[in-house]
Amino acid sequence: MEAPPVTMMPVTGGTINMMEYLLQGSVLDHSLESLIHRLRGLCDNMEPETFLDHEMVFLLKGQQASPFVLRARRSMDRAGTPWHLRYLGQPEMGDKNRHALVRNCVDIATSENLTDFLMEMGFRMDHEFVAKGHLFRKGIMKIMVYKIFRILVPGNTDSIEALSLSYLVELSVVAPAGQDMVSDDMRNFAEQLKPLVHLEKIDPKRLM
Amino acid sequence: MGVTCVSQMSVAEGKSVQQTVELLTQKLEMLGAEKQGTFCVDCETYHTAASTLGSQGQAGKLMYVMHNSEYPLSCFALFENGPCLIADTNFDVLMVKLKGFFQSAKASKIETRGTRYQYCDFLVKVGTVTMGPSARGISVEVEYGPCVVASDCWSLLLEFLQNFLGSHTPGAPTVFANRHDAVYSPADTMVQYMELFNKIRKQQQVPVAGIR
Repeated sequence: MEAPPVTMMPVTGGTINMMEYLLQGSVLDHSLESLIHRLRGLCDNMEPETFLDHEMVFLLKGQQASPFVLRARRSMDRAGTPWHLRYLGQPEMGDKNRHALVRNCVDIATSENLTDFLMEMGFRMDHEFVAKGHLFRKGIMKIMVYKIFRILVPGNTDSIEALSLSYLVELSVVAPAGQDMVSDDMRNFAEQLKPLVHLEKIDPKRLM
Repeated sequence: MGVTCVSQMSVAEGKSVQQTVELLTQKLEMLGAEKQGTFCVDCETYHTAASTLGSQGQAGKLMYVMHNSEYPLSCFALFENGPCLIADTNFDVLMVKLKGFFQSAKASKIETRGTRYQYCDFLVKVGTVTMGPSARGISVEVEYGPCVVASDCWSLLLEFLQNFLGSHTPGAPTVFANRHDAVYSPADTMVQYMELFNKIRKQQQVPVAGIR
């Protein structure tokens, strides 16, 4: 019987840089239903998918002026799924005509002891929140409509309180660097959601 | 994965590392083991950069990032006596981004490569441990596939090891002591490899004449 081939070289992570293209907007609670209805029509045909996630943001302070930020996210309603560790770089300041916010992103699936491990590395939790909402897909585009909840007692995800009377809407694509046509496709899709929601490129630095 | 024991085989008197590995593999083939490809386990060491130490107020810790060809899509990151994180291979990309905070001790990359042998329910891997261009020792990994609880099959593993390694049979790995009745996991194997690599790093280098 032929043995399955075992790779001689362990497969190590590629150095392909993945970029996240992002457009954001929001809708008030009372407009949620119409938005979901339109999205169901425009997006890929699939079972309506909801999610309930708990995200923790960790910082590593060094001598550099800006700390290193990592986001650890876990699913609260799907048991047994891996934790999701995410690094997001600074938004690329480039073409003003580019329609979406572009930043380097690294996504890693990990085992459940992620928070203990990050603490051991020297990271400290800066803040946490719960996100609850709906997920849609259209080709490589991901559309999330969700509400952010503040956690009243640190570590206790049972006592949460909504942060606002609206839902955050995010249209994102994760693609290899250099694929700028992606932002054109995203803008075209965003046009179809007007006037229910206006998705635009929001520079996080402007808000601070 | 089944319960696994990783140990070091000392180089035979008057023989080189390569010759000792050949002796072991010949013994396995005589037993009737079937060659099944090759394997590789490697380990890189990172230490917290001086810039982060000041603010943390704690001694620099060593972090090991390891890969095992048995799990080609995974990456294992561990601290000695600390947690072992199992992640996908993008973790290596993240370590590149963390260059400013964690420095890789380039000279200390260590790996073991060799052949895999299947003997009934046992999977035996005999590898040459190398640091850079020099061979530093021999690693022997034996996995008993059907069982995942260490305390249930350690005596059987020991018997097989004695049969195969003779007087070089190791004692029970320390990972077993901590988690006797817990389900064995790949992270336990990586901890054993980390301990083996650390032991070999501290040892005297094998005389050059012996390698040729």
